[in-house]
Amino acid sequence: MQTYQRLRTNPRQALRPRPPYGSSPIPTYKHLISLVQEGKLSFKNVVTFNMDEYVGLPRDHTESYHTFMFREFFSHIDTRLAGELLNGNAKNLIEECNQYEARIKAFGGIELFLGGIGEDGHIAFNEPGSSLASRTRIKTLAYDTILANARFFNDDIAAVPRMALTVGVATVLDSREVVVVVTGQRKALALSKAIEEGVNHLWTLSALQMHPWALIVVDEDATAELHVKTVKYFKSIERVQDEVEAMHAALTAQGIEDDHVGSME
Amino acid sequence: MSSTNGLICFTNCLLPTEDGGLVEKDLWIDERRGVILDAQRTFYLRKERPARVINMDGNIVSPGFMDIQINGAYGFDFSVYEGDDEAYREGLKLVSSKIVETGVTSLLPTIITQEKSLYPKLLHLLRPYSASKSANLLGWHAEGPFIQLAKRGAHAPQFLVPATERFKSFEQVYGAENLVEKEDWLMAGDGATEDVVGVRVITAAPEVDGVMAAVEEVVKRGIIFSIGHSIATTDIATAAVQNGARLITHLFNAMPQLHHRDPSIIGLLGASPHMSPPNSPARTTFPAPPLSRATSTSSLTKRLRELQEGPQATSEAFDDVQTPPQTPILAAQDSVLHLQKGKVADLSFERPFYELIVDGIHSHPNSVRLAYTSYPEGCILITDAMKILDPNLKDGIHEWRDGKRFVKSGDKLYLEGTDTLAGSVVTLDKCVRNFSRFTGCSLGEAIKCATYNPAKCFGLENKKGTLRPGADADLVVLDRRGNVLSTWVKGQEAWARGD
Repeated sequence: MQTYQRLRTNPRQALRPRPPYGSSPIPTYKHLISLVQEGKLSFKNVVTFNMDEYVGLPRDHTESYHTFMFREFFSHIDTRLAGELLNGNAKNLIEECNQYEARIKAFGGIELFLGGIGEDGHIAFNEPGSSLASRTRIKTLAYDTILANARFFNDDIAAVPRMALTVGVATVLDSREVVVVVTGQRKALALSKAIEEGVNHLWTLSALQMHPWALIVVDEDATAELHVKTVKYFKSIERVQDEVEAMHAALTAQGIEDDHVGSME
Repeated sequence: MSSTNGLICFTNCLLPTEDGGLVEKDLWIDERRGVILDAQRTFYLRKERPARVINMDGNIVSPGFMDIQINGAYGFDFSVYEGDDEAYREGLKLVSSKIVETGVTSLLPTIITQEKSLYPKLLHLLRPYSASKSANLLGWHAEGPFIQLAKRGAHAPQFLVPATERFKSFEQVYGAENLVEKEDWLMAGDGATEDVVGVRVITAAPEVDGVMAAVEEVVKRGIIFSIGHSIATTDIATAAVQNGARLITHLFNAMPQLHHRDPSIIGLLGASPHMSPPNSPARTTFPAPPLSRATSTSSLTKRLRELQEGPQATSEAFDDVQTPPQTPILAAQDSVLHLQKGKVADLSFERPFYELIVDGIHSHPNSVRLAYTSYPEGCILITDAMKILDPNLKDGIHEWRDGKRFVKSGDKLYLEGTDTLAGSVVTLDKCVRNFSRFTGCSLGEAIKCATYNPAKCFGLENKKGTLRPGADADLVVLDRRGNVLSTWVKGQEAWARGD
């Protein structure tokens, strides 16, 4: 799909400074919306799954993910389906989670997972300490997350939901492709832990090291905790990729076909 | 043009919020049911999105305007009944079908002081009425006959009466069946349904004999009591509000000018939040204030008597009676003072809503701003327009009633041969634009004064003057200069500006 190409080859055009927590995808959504409005992209045949929802928060509460998704994305695009979201008000939450996994499977699995992370490196609501083999389930929110979310609930800690339903780390890893957007200095430590150290259940983003087709899109600020050589290395990957692609294009222009040229695999 | 699933989405538009803001947001309506939708709920629960999407090019999609005081328009005078019910109903239909061009989707026909026997008939004819693609007629606003001779304006002096038998006098004049409890009144109409909305307003002068004693019963019946055409002193006006009066009729007009020692009706806009109604729990916790119940009652009675016996009524709207040079004493002087800057003590005295005619003539722009800044939440824009209201009518002399004639000069309207203002000929959309210019407030805040505020005054803020889900899809589309581009009633386009 065209979006893939756009997201993969030129992600930086979608990046702008933004607040932490739960807001990382907004610029990406804005970009996708403009593509839909220009008629370059359609969601008519796309099924979306959301990765988490608070437990016990009314669906139309201003801070629910239902509200967020409708306000920031669904109301502006041309989906035919309402999108699949976890129901945090289901009577049987465990059953709701199991069915969610089943629905994902029924559609043939997730093609592209798009997300952000928390300051503690959580992906979806897989807080530090989550099993890396986890599936969709009920999750208790970490104290940091509750504190950070309090601003959405009139700074009333007691009003912040304590639990959420979330897809698991293994659910994320099952996706055919993962794109994670990490921006701002506040996420810098999490980024360093996730890519410069080993796979670690205390920084669940690090599980992406096990994924064959994962892309982490970062801005300059988010690299603040990385070693200089790490940053240089990743920049060189991009540069080399560009050079290889240019060479490939030149060869193609000359009519020389070589399947291996231009491939990073 | 209609939508295949009956849903319409207005996109690329600004929506007024109930706090006077304007936000960029889509609005979903159901054109078949004629209501505003909760878009998110419709999307997730009905799993539908509107089949018809209308790009509004950045214009404003506002709740339709409400005019709660209008005497007539397009040549029809709500106060003139010539013995023919059908002709009268045709007149109502004419006004309601044409007035939408001024952005008005709900109006309250106002009848000025009549010969007593006409009231029961007129009020009965003015039951809530709505027709397709026409503005809703909400009910009636009876201005008079229990008003002050000295402040009668263009009302006929021979028809003014006191309410010597208090509420019973009201029933005798207006007809008891027109003053029944609100629910009974609403359900009594032909084809009345559960969700019919209706409003009754009575403008009277609380100092007129028997009126003050009737206020409570009027309010109890679900009728809005509005203070107007009155020379009520501050204490009388305050008592009327404490008894349930909720509105002031065309502020500044037909009432004493603002006197700093006795600010009278206008002064209610500055009423201290520390003024508690008599017998309220708050009051008992304070040491007996100087204006305690016993003294206030006796002084109030005395003042009422003075006003009823005293004033040498003159004929002119602009004449004034002498306001007494006393400094009124505040109740609850010893109440607790709070220490939070910017916060206003939240006590029980609720200031009344007030109507403003914003034609630039009935109130000077400075006065409009003064009133608005002192109490923005209470401000309601009205036209008080006469029957010759018609955006296309030329200046000159026009017939009125009883052989009298109007002189129209721009937005000014006089009784022929006098300089007495006789209502106005301004349209409500122009009032909104004027108001924004006079006060410097945003267009969104001006819109609020012609939509949400009047609806709130009547307790209709879930149905009218709002974009809340479930409210009637009565809308006016405005450009960013406040000009009406189109008007929608019950989800149907009722009028659109021709190009």
